[in-house]
Amino acid sequence: MNRNYFILTLIMLVLAAGTFFIPKKSMQQQVKPSKLLWEIIQPTRYVSTDQVAKMIIQKDPSLELIDVRSADEYARFSLPNTINIPLDSIVNENSMDYFGIPGTNVVFFSNDAIKADEAWVLTRRLGFNATYVMKGGLNRWIETIIQPKEPAEESPRTAFETYEFRKGAQLYFTGAKVETTTAKKAKVVIRRKKKKVVASGGC
Amino acid sequence: MHVHELNPKKTLIALLAFVIIILAGFFTMHKPLMTYKLDMKQSVAMLNNPDACFQPWQLADVLNHKDKNVVLIDIRDKFTYGQGHIPGSENISAYDLTKAENIARLEAFKEKGLTVVLYGKDQLQANAPWMFFRQVGFDNVKILLGGYDYYHAHKDNLMASKNDQSYLKGKARYDFAKVAAKSGSTAGKSTVKTKKPVIIRRKKKAVVASGGC
Repeated sequence: MNRNYFILTLIMLVLAAGTFFIPKKSMQQQVKPSKLLWEIIQPTRYVSTDQVAKMIIQKDPSLELIDVRSADEYARFSLPNTINIPLDSIVNENSMDYFGIPGTNVVFFSNDAIKADEAWVLTRRLGFNATYVMKGGLNRWIETIIQPKEPAEESPRTAFETYEFRKGAQLYFTGAKVETTTAKKAKVVIRRKKKKVVASGGC
Repeated sequence: MHVHELNPKKTLIALLAFVIIILAGFFTMHKPLMTYKLDMKQSVAMLNNPDACFQPWQLADVLNHKDKNVVLIDIRDKFTYGQGHIPGSENISAYDLTKAENIARLEAFKEKGLTVVLYGKDQLQANAPWMFFRQVGFDNVKILLGGYDYYHAHKDNLMASKNDQSYLKGKARYDFAKVAAKSGSTAGKSTVKTKKPVIIRRKKKAVVASGGC
């Protein structure tokens, strides 16, 4: 056997042995820091409470709502069809199953938008796409959907359209019954025209 | 007998060529601008670290020039910054923060042992950048709780914020369950307005010509 072959084999073995000492990296491919920073400064991840309400009402199958508040807060009140993943356990192995499902849009929400935004940064770093943050959180949810305020007289037409939608959404989410009006049935007054006397006699 | 065995030095030459290529690759490897210094668990734990936050009342010392180790950075855009900002703050808008030169400046602040306090319009605006810089190892970067809006509303009495809880993140402003239940019973009222009686007035027909053809 040639000595050269022996040396080359030895080098190969040494290199192969070296792979044992490579630090163990997590399998999850993390987003590069510079890319993450660039995405962080974009406001595209925010969705409004109106958009979320619309998706819930239309039973949008792609919507996946995630409540990142604590389990206690979640038990007291949350949005319909919501998964509760407290922020402390968002990077746990079990939580990973809820993200990155093809065809779903994850929307995080919390009391305000801050915790939800933190959840967004953490999951984005882990490489999950199609995640969003409900801007204003539940505080704004109450202000806009549960207790919408009537826009001022001089507001643009779109403000009234939004208000109209919110009133409808309010009924949907609070389960309120529309009270039948107590006013008496509108009276229809029909005034019949008195027939003019048509010329008697004809051709 | 192989051809190359005629010249035993060929193996050595091939080996040397490999080593040179690998070394060249190693030295010219693109070094990333930033790398994550905190792993995911640490990043989550960091969020609850009170030391990573800057309270509004701590600003009082900075504004009195008592605390000279603090650099305030305003990440709002230039126009808003021009309309009003915390005295002594520097404007590096969120978009500019991604530039290598500004990251180098943050590096320099860190080496000098200065604390960098980020603030935006509200706390949310600066929150994600703050998280990011902490994750890539800038442990001197803090966030101003409440943001500029809170400062602007309370600038005459910053010390009072010691007893104010309203700016803390994640505060629920309502008892959601109660409000939702209450709204449920009253929601319908304002939507229905009493109907006005409808009056139909028929147009009087013009008098048809009496007489016939």
